Amino acid sequence: MPAICEVGSWGFGVTSEGLKGLKGKLGLGIGAGNVVRFEARGKRNVGQVLALERGGMRQHVNGKGDGSQGENLHQISTVGNSTNIKWHCCSVGKLDREGLLNQKGCVIWITGLSGSGKSTLACALSRELHSRGKLTYVLDGDNVRHGLNSDLTFKPEDRAENIRRIGEVAKLFSDAGIICIASLISPYRKDRAACRALLPEGDFIEVFLDVPIHVCEQRDPKGLYKLARAGKIRGFTGIDDAYEPPVSCEIVLKEEGREATPPRELAEQVISYLYEKGYLHAQ
Amino acid sequence: MSTVGNSTNIFWHECPVGKSERQKLLNQKGCVVWITGLSGSGKSTLACSLNRELYSKGKLSYVLDGDNLRHGLNKDLGFKVEDRTENIRRVGEVAKLFADSGLICIASLISPYRKDRDACRALLPESFIEVFMNMPLEVCEARDAKGLYKLARAGKITGFTGIDDPYEPPLKCEIELSYKDGVCPTPVAMAGKVVSYLEEKGFLEEDKERN
Repeated sequence: MPAICEVGSWGFGVTSEGLKGLKGKLGLGIGAGNVVRFEARGKRNVGQVLALERGGMRQHVNGKGDGSQGENLHQISTVGNSTNIKWHCCSVGKLDREGLLNQKGCVIWITGLSGSGKSTLACALSRELHSRGKLTYVLDGDNVRHGLNSDLTFKPEDRAENIRRIGEVAKLFSDAGIICIASLISPYRKDRAACRALLPEGDFIEVFLDVPIHVCEQRDPKGLYKLARAGKIRGFTGIDDAYEPPVSCEIVLKEEGREATPPRELAEQVISYLYEKGYLHAQ
Repeated sequence: MSTVGNSTNIFWHECPVGKSERQKLLNQKGCVVWITGLSGSGKSTLACSLNRELYSKGKLSYVLDGDNLRHGLNKDLGFKVEDRTENIRRVGEVAKLFADSGLICIASLISPYRKDRDACRALLPESFIEVFMNMPLEVCEARDAKGLYKLARAGKITGFTGIDDPYEPPLKCEIELSYKDGVCPTPVAMAGKVVSYLEEKGFLEEDKERN
């Protein structure tokens, strides 16, 4: 079984495949095929370094601890062609958890106007993925405002903080190996971009529910458009606060007609994307 | 529709996949193992060890380390009393979400005030397992794993727990780990004690009665 351990923010597996482009990334002079002596889980191993993947949580490489697990991060040295890598493998990493779950952690960020069907899609997606044996968790904007974000209002600065916190929590869930489905209006491009930046490339999958406002308003599942039109709610997205649609996102689900596409069909589009990109099985 | 705290016009959205289904998938019960104690008492070390022991049993767990979270979710918070309280509140809420997802969430942070830990316990009435690292201050200071006691003694850090800010030990917690016959138990031994507790209480299997 490959020994997988994390060095700084990178985990690497030792198997029979070659590794390219590592040199310079860690500043260790590790290149494809380099023989590496290392300790993993208390055992000494020798092998060829290959696939490198970001473990996610730690921000530093080259042995500088950020106190992340309370253990000294690894002192790394290079001698000739052999790189002696010493560390004590602390906790279980993202790759291990993904192996246990047979999936890859990621964040599916569903954005759109109120009434565009975000929560409905989130539920359908979680149901479909569960039926395929995948572990998901839905972070619904409203639900999180009942707990973690119960101290926040809908003022612009609080909306930004709401999204920031959900982004950070989604990142933790993704690191845990879970397919985290975040469902919230998240109207401002800048805030969504900030969440995207928290995650490794590819792990932030933005899904835009592109539904015209008149359709959302017609649905008005929570009666909020009516209240907003009557002036009883201020700063309501789409009425008197802006929604900035994504300029470029991974999935756009467009609804134009009166008949809404069944949630299950929309969910299948997302699942196809996940499958193609390899999120429905471990590395 | 409800008003919760400062958020108005919010709904509770029901979702078809619930906690018990996730627990069935994972064959375990979501819960929070809350490790509290002085700086240098061995919380993070225990958290890592526990994480590894659970993984070796095929159980999914995740560590929420106080330091770690202060780099991300809680990076806007300092160490003033009110910030410590908010830090712990947020970690408690996140731990609750993890427990709801079916994971065994290991929270490792000093969390010095009893009131704040009790508030987290109240979020998770039947699945909050408080583990007290009862290590003497002298031992923690001698270790000084991060050099913080030295800085605190030199007055370069103020409000440092154990030096010039109080640590309020739990009055009643599920597990207490301390020196035995003058020797500090190994991380593996301590993790073993926690794992036994989890096993005894049925957290390492799904709730068969309900299914």
